[in-house]
Amino acid sequence: VTNMSSQEDESAGGGSEPAEPSSSPSTEIGTTSGDIITVTIGATVPTGFEHTAAEEIKEKIGVDARISKDRGRVFFPITTDKLFQVHLLRSVDNLFVVVEEYHHYQFKESKEETLMELQQLASTLPWTNALEVWKQNGTLKKKKGHRRGGNTAKSKPNCEGVGGSMASTEQQELPQENSAPEGWAGDTQAMETSTQDSDETGHGSKLIKFRVTCNRAGDKHSFSSNEAARDFGGAVQEFFQWKADMTKFDIEVLLNIHNEEVVIGIALTEESLHRRNISHFGPTTLRSTLCYGMLRLCKPQASDIILDPMCGTGAIPLEGAIEFNHSFYVAGDNNDMAVNRTVNNICHIQKRRADKGSMSGLPIDTVQWDLCSLPIRTSSVDIIITDMPFGKRMGSRKKNWDLYPSCLREMARVCRPGSGKAVLLTQDKKCFSKAISRMGGLWRKQHTVWVNVGGLHAGVYLLKRTGSRSCTQPCHAANPSVFFGLM
Amino acid sequence: MKLLTHNMLTSHVKGVTKGYPLLIKATEVKVNEVEFNPQFVSRMIPKLEWSALVQAAEEDLPGELVADYETNEEFLKKVHRILLEVEVLEGCLQCPESGREFPISRGIPNMLLNEDEA
Repeated sequence: VTNMSSQEDESAGGGSEPAEPSSSPSTEIGTTSGDIITVTIGATVPTGFEHTAAEEIKEKIGVDARISKDRGRVFFPITTDKLFQVHLLRSVDNLFVVVEEYHHYQFKESKEETLMELQQLASTLPWTNALEVWKQNGTLKKKKGHRRGGNTAKSKPNCEGVGGSMASTEQQELPQENSAPEGWAGDTQAMETSTQDSDETGHGSKLIKFRVTCNRAGDKHSFSSNEAARDFGGAVQEFFQWKADMTKFDIEVLLNIHNEEVVIGIALTEESLHRRNISHFGPTTLRSTLCYGMLRLCKPQASDIILDPMCGTGAIPLEGAIEFNHSFYVAGDNNDMAVNRTVNNICHIQKRRADKGSMSGLPIDTVQWDLCSLPIRTSSVDIIITDMPFGKRMGSRKKNWDLYPSCLREMARVCRPGSGKAVLLTQDKKCFSKAISRMGGLWRKQHTVWVNVGGLHAGVYLLKRTGSRSCTQPCHAANPSVFFGLM
Repeated sequence: MKLLTHNMLTSHVKGVTKGYPLLIKATEVKVNEVEFNPQFVSRMIPKLEWSALVQAAEEDLPGELVADYETNEEFLKKVHRILLEVEVLEGCLQCPESGREFPISRGIPNMLLNEDEA
C-alpha cells in the first residue's frame, strides 16, 4: 500500500485573527501583561512524514496538528506556558510562530499591485502575540544553554577521532521542499532590505536586527520570492524601525507563499534541528528528523534488537538509542571510516550527556562487518532499519542489482520470522521491488512512505518478515515461486 | 563491544559449523553507566543464549535461570550490568572451531573475512 504524501488542508480555516489597527509601531517588543496566550506554531518536517510529526505532536503536546497543502509543513496550537514542549519534538526540522495565515489569498493581476499590497500588509498584521512568543522562546533557548551545535564544521571530536570531522561542504544540505523536482516554479530568497536610515533609533532601547526569508512555490505568481522579500521586508522595517541584517539578525520573518496559501511567521529555531546528533559527518549522513520518522514507523518495543547493517555514520541507530532507548541497537558497516565515525558520534553524545550530569551510556554498539554475510545468529534480530545505497551518491545502479538481493536475503536470515520487521530507505525503487518479489516470500510489503532526500525521490518501505524460514542455500532467481519451509 | 552484542555474534568462516559462541580475549575493559530498565532486562533474557552469557561473563551468574527472575530486581540489575555496562574495548574474539581471531579495537569488533575465508 503506497501512501502519497500530499494532503488536503484539514482545518476549516484558521488564522482568522482580526487585523490590528495600525497604531504607532513600537520599537520595543513585548510590553507584556504576562498572560498566557494561544498561538499557532508551524513546523517544517521531512516530506512524507507529516503524519508521523502529527502523531508525535499529539503524543508530546496533546493537540491535534493540521497538515498543510504545502507538503512538509504541519501546524498546531499551543499556549505560551507550554512553549518549551516544542523543543522536545524530534520529527521537526524548523519551528516558527504564525503571525497570520491566508488560505485563499487573492493576488492582484499585476506585479506592481501585488507587491504594493504586500507592503501594505506589513503594517496591518497581528504581530503582537507572535513577537511575544518569539521573546519567550529567546529566554527558553538561553536557559537551555543553547549552542550552535552539529551543523558546523567547527565541532571537535571529543574522543580520539579517527577520520576526523568532515567539512560542512559534505552535508548535502537539501534546500527546502519547493525545490524538489515536481514542476513547481519554486525559488527561495532571503533579502536584506537596503536602508538609508541611521543606525540609531534614538529611543535608547536595544536595536532589533531582522531579515525576511521568502519561500515561494506556484506557477501563477507574477513576482519572484526575491521581490516579495524585498518589498515586504522594506515595509516591515518601516513599520518597526528595525535594522536589516542578513547574517546577524535577532528576528527572522518568514514569508511562505504556496499557490494561494500565504503564511507569515517568525522563526523560533536558528538553524535546522535536523543534524542534532551528528558531529562527525559522512558523505550521505541522513538528517536526524528523517531517522526519527523511520524509527517511529517500525514502533520499537522494549528489548527489541534493532540492526542497522549499513549504518554509515550511525545516524539512525543513534537517534534510536536516544529517543527509543528501551530497545538495543547494533550499528554495522564494512567501511573503516564509517565505523569510526559512528563511534565518534556516539562518544560525542555520551560526553554531552555526562556533562549535563545524566547517565551517559547508550544502548548501542558498533561492529565492522560485511552485510551480505552477517556474523549474527539466525533469527535473532527484531528490526532491521537502514538507508540503502542509492547508487547515485554512493555505489552504483549496477552494483545495486547484485547487492540488493544478497543483502535482503541475509537480512531475512537474521530477522525473526513472523514477528520481525524491516524499515528500508532507498531511491532505487525498481531494483528494490524486484529484489523483494524474488525473495521466495520472505518479506511482505506493509506500507511505503515517499520522501525527499537531498533532492532525490526515495521510498521508505516498511516490511514484515513472513513466517517462512530462510533458505540455507542461495535462492535461485530462476525459481521465484519456490518457497522453503512455509509455515 | 557489549556482552549483549557478543551474545548475538557468531563466526561465519567458510566450513565452520560450530562458530558460536566466540571466545572473548579482552586486554582492555571499561564499565559504563547505563540507565536500568527492569522490563528491558526481563524481556531480553528469553532472547539470549543464556549459557553463552554465563561463559562470557565469568561472573556469578547461575548456569540455569532461576524461577521468577522477572521480579527479582537484584538479579535483573546484575544481568543489566553484564549485558549493557561492561564493554570490551581492546582484545579479540576467537572462533571456537577454526581458532581464527577477530580483533576488537576502540570497542569495535572487526568481523570482516579475508577472501579465502568467505
